[in-house]
Amino acid sequence: MWRDAALVAGRDLRIEARSRVTVHQVGPFALLVLVLFAFALDPARNILERATPGLYWITVLFSALLALARSAALDEAAGTRDALRLSALDPAGVFVGKALAVAAELAVLEVLLAFGVIVLYGAEPAGVGLLLATCVAATVAVASTGTLYGALVSGLRVRETLLPLLLLPVLAPVLIGATRAFEAALGGAPADGWPWCGLLAVFAVLYSVAGAFAYGTLLEGS
Amino acid sequence: MTTTLPPRTTTGPADDAAPRVAAGTGSPATRVLGIGALVSSALLVLYGLVISPADAEMGDSVRLMYLHVPAATYLYVGCSITTIASGLWLWKRTPGWDALAEAGAEVALVFSVVTLGAGSLWGRPTWGTYWTWDARLTSTAVLVAMLVGYLALRRLELDPAARSTRAAVLGLLLVPNVIVVNRSVEWWRSLHQGSTLVKLHPTVEGNMLVALMVGFIAFGLIFAWMMVHRFRVAWLDQQADRLDLEAALAARRAESRTADAGTAPASTPEVTS
Amino acid sequence: MIAMTHAGYVAAGWIGTAVLFVGYALATVRRGRRLSRQVPPEDRRWS
Repeated sequence: MWRDAALVAGRDLRIEARSRVTVHQVGPFALLVLVLFAFALDPARNILERATPGLYWITVLFSALLALARSAALDEAAGTRDALRLSALDPAGVFVGKALAVAAELAVLEVLLAFGVIVLYGAEPAGVGLLLATCVAATVAVASTGTLYGALVSGLRVRETLLPLLLLPVLAPVLIGATRAFEAALGGAPADGWPWCGLLAVFAVLYSVAGAFAYGTLLEGS
Repeated sequence: MTTTLPPRTTTGPADDAAPRVAAGTGSPATRVLGIGALVSSALLVLYGLVISPADAEMGDSVRLMYLHVPAATYLYVGCSITTIASGLWLWKRTPGWDALAEAGAEVALVFSVVTLGAGSLWGRPTWGTYWTWDARLTSTAVLVAMLVGYLALRRLELDPAARSTRAAVLGLLLVPNVIVVNRSVEWWRSLHQGSTLVKLHPTVEGNMLVALMVGFIAFGLIFAWMMVHRFRVAWLDQQADRLDLEAALAARRAESRTADAGTAPASTPEVTS
Repeated sequence: MIAMTHAGYVAAGWIGTAVLFVGYALATVRRGRRLSRQVPPEDRRWS
């Protein structure tokens, strides 16, 4: 399964490397959202600073929607679905591969946004261990959940509007957990944040397993 | 209260030559359920609004709890039905499970509106605001979003098998998602629980307890009645889709046959649904 | 001093609930009747 995953991840990332959608479009979009928040919340710097964790993760989620929609779209081209089905690739491997590719893209985005938040909102990194762990757990959670839900809406004309509706409620715990963890880290009390990071990790594991199991059914069924 | 089940269209002496055709999704079972629902609803109005006393601290607004609590209960029952039926469909692939999953979600949505509505209307006089980010209301709001999403997925134009598969996967995840969201939100809000001057759970005893019990019974019967009807509607929907498909296939076969025969193809008969 | 009557809210809640339930019930029954006209009786398995 892992070999298949590596194969699919490699393909997805190679397509990304060639087209550079994440770097050239999603990244700027993410930074733009940060800027928009500043417009909306007024450079009464207090609000931005206090709200930084929340704004950061909301931006990540919105950007993830774009990245996930794109990941699902990669396999919608006529015949690709059938090719995947007929190939001897393990569906769980396909799932893991796609999720890993999205996770990699999200990781890049998160680093970019971290710089954005430091520069634009004056955030001061603290509790970096917790910050990193949270990012890893949340990224895996978002990527695996999103890849599964992306498969649910793939091939549909309403894909772009349905995916957010399906995915965002499900990711509410991730948003809650990641924000609380970041707040704890940046606020100098990381001990409060680690349990939230734990929640994220559990969520990530649950959805990775669920996705791996369900992907086969979905590939066959549609 | 208006009647929920109108009488059959054929009345008078039974005509053996022309068999009676039932006009809809009613049946003796639903008639019993319907009558039970009406009677218990009347009792609920009696107990909830008249006989039971106002709460010592909350005042009359506690009467909204006789709606809110049973509604929330059956909301969760509906979601559970959807999840279990989704799982069973994925396992057995019998269409009845698919129909049941659809019915469960839609009826659950109706009950969720009552839950949130009664909850907010209770909150206004009690806390001063219609909405508050307490764990229960917040989780229910997220649950509503999930139900809306599930029902949106069900309406898609896809071949029925694919649509049912995707909906079933989503439905199977419904209850797990709800649990995770509930736990997370409760944990989160427990960090911010300000002191509430008003008890969230009034001591319920005497006539108030009776009213609540009647509420559970009435809502339960209403829920069951709605589930049966909605299930049958979903079932009929499946049959209608199947018939449409068969008719379309037959038309295409007829078309190709006449084409093969070398004559100009007859115009395909209109297939209206 | 919390008022003993919040009649407006209680009324709104109960009436709203009734309207919603009845409305949904009617809509479902009507939809069922419309569909059952399209489906021959053998395919239904009740009544």
